[in-house]
Amino acid sequence: MAQTQLAILLTSVALVVIGLYAAIFVDNIIKKIIGISFIEEGANLFIVAIGYKAGGVVPILMPGMDTSWFASNAAYPLPFGLVLTSIVIGASTLAVMLALVMVLYRRYGTLSTKVMLADTSKQEEYNE
Amino acid sequence: MNELIPLMVIVPLIAALLISAFSKFNKVTKIFAFVVAICLPLIPLLSNYGLHYFGGYEPILDNVTSFVYHPAITYSFTFLQQIFIAMIGLLTFLVIFVYLTKYKEVSGPYLFLLFLGTAAVTAMLLTDDIFHMFVFFEILALAQVGIVAASSIDYSYEMALKYMILGSIGSPIMLLGIGFLLALTGSVNVTDIATAVHNGLVDATSPVFLTSLGLIFFGWLYASGLPPFHTIKSGIYSKAEPHGAALLQSFTVISMISIVLIMHRIYSTLPIFEVLIVFFSILAMILGVSMALTQTDFRRMIGFLAVGELGFIGLGIGLGTNYAITAGLFQALNEIIITALLFIGFGAIVNATNEVDTRKLGGLLAYHPKVSLMLLIAGLAMAGVPPLSGFQSKLMLVQASLNCGFPEISILAIMVSIATFVVFVKTFYVMFLRPKPKELEVEGKEVPRAMIFAMGILLILVIGLGLFPDVVVNGISSFVGGIL
Amino acid sequence: MLEFVLCIIIVLSAILALIQKDLLKAAILTGFSGGALAVLFQILLAPDVALTQAIVGAAIVPVFIALAVQKTQREDS
Repeated sequence: MAQTQLAILLTSVALVVIGLYAAIFVDNIIKKIIGISFIEEGANLFIVAIGYKAGGVVPILMPGMDTSWFASNAAYPLPFGLVLTSIVIGASTLAVMLALVMVLYRRYGTLSTKVMLADTSKQEEYNE
Repeated sequence: MNELIPLMVIVPLIAALLISAFSKFNKVTKIFAFVVAICLPLIPLLSNYGLHYFGGYEPILDNVTSFVYHPAITYSFTFLQQIFIAMIGLLTFLVIFVYLTKYKEVSGPYLFLLFLGTAAVTAMLLTDDIFHMFVFFEILALAQVGIVAASSIDYSYEMALKYMILGSIGSPIMLLGIGFLLALTGSVNVTDIATAVHNGLVDATSPVFLTSLGLIFFGWLYASGLPPFHTIKSGIYSKAEPHGAALLQSFTVISMISIVLIMHRIYSTLPIFEVLIVFFSILAMILGVSMALTQTDFRRMIGFLAVGELGFIGLGIGLGTNYAITAGLFQALNEIIITALLFIGFGAIVNATNEVDTRKLGGLLAYHPKVSLMLLIAGLAMAGVPPLSGFQSKLMLVQASLNCGFPEISILAIMVSIATFVVFVKTFYVMFLRPKPKELEVEGKEVPRAMIFAMGILLILVIGLGLFPDVVVNGISSFVGGIL
Repeated sequence: MLEFVLCIIIVLSAILALIQKDLLKAAILTGFSGGALAVLFQILLAPDVALTQAIVGAAIVPVFIALAVQKTQREDS
């Protein structure tokens, strides 16, 4: 089933591209953060797709399975273990960013990046 | 005592968690943080060199291909790791000492962030597993953002959010690069990947391999604040508390060298790899110094100078010979010490005058002679004046680039050193030597003793490494011989 | 067949989330995308990852975003 893998790789590329577009060009900060979470999801999907084996079985050794049959048919479990960590990291990063946004909203009353993050550069101009 | 190797990461992590959980008890927290901070530089000095396999999974010899595979997360501890971890431990101790004496009520979460950052860079240095390094890279980014956001300087939240958004674009891209390597070799252990690449199991010219280099390289640029990230990096230094900034720059240097050493082991067969590193390093050197020249906020000025110094490290590693990499790593060690000294010293000035604009300062030599003398020596060391430590490493770098047949690069390095000297002397004159402006009110505030103590210890290291560079250089050189 | 449908759902809901004017709807659509991704992980023989992604991607992330929207403003101006 090469088609499945191709579709999944295309999906992960699409997620990364959509996320990058949102993170760079969209003005609203919440949407920027949503875009960043899409980049992370795309990367995770790509790494899971590496471990996938077409027509294989879940990499859990059940009692009664033949070990050599299992070794040649199971999916590769190392990428799955990595993705578990990466998902949790992504969620915690998202939480910290949203917390910073909530603090900054109280000061500026807007979610626009141009207004919210512009003042640091203004400060620099003033200094020069 | 090989059992101490994982403890270097575990002790600061556990301390961080305990401190944030029991931060209600002020006095206990203070004593506990102090004790742990003393232990941090001692653990690597007491530990023996060696490897540590988590879970006890020893390497497996594959009988068919006769390669050795590493199933466990491996920590390798050699002289390089020892000297850098001891240095970061000492710096953490000094910073925490300054912080504890500065405030009566200490904040548990802030100490948590300092210890977390230390644990993260220690793990990045020790690890031989590229994904493990990525995880701690993310933890380090969170800790850095927290340290910046915790400061009371204006616009620190904005800077923290900006840094975080850039970081969360950079780190998934690095993860994708790791994914490409995993797809090619089926392993995340750096030794295994390097074996596969050098024995021709992976086609070194395949586009997938080149893409993985590009993606990981982008993450490295973000982690080390080389261009195009130099503005944000110097920005976060200037928005953090001075002692926090002293620690932040050391985190940057260590994450830079730990990632670049791993990249060097994997990609050193590609000629474009060294070209890329040298190109971005030279860009960082030129941009850092020229932007430092135009700054009037002296914290930003040191931030840009620090970015320029990072270029020297990259230059050494990019040249690729044993001597050049040794020079680059020695320069990294010197930069950690010198820049920390500068940040703490200028922090003392901010503390005493509440002013960061150099145009409004002047005549401080009469008020703070000790601080200004130490700052002068540190600045001269950064610019590479003999016999201080910066001179030794920069001399080695210049010689290395001459040996490699690039006299242009050595001329450029000397010119950047001279420019650094000019920037520093100009700022020093404006702040300390010229007559005091009338509007400036220097309150009769004493500089805290803890800051003087911290600066004194760092100064001893600067002079000591300048006079006896062989203590460190020989060990680093034999380490570099091992990875080449 | 299911995996193709899921791929289309993921990409479509990602695009839709970014063009919404109402940020709360965008949060819910993010949850759609995360949930579909969880099912896709199950198809890709990674049940442990699927469980984590189902909790994080379909519940925690949208709830965090919705909470942030509640504390700030709903419209994307």
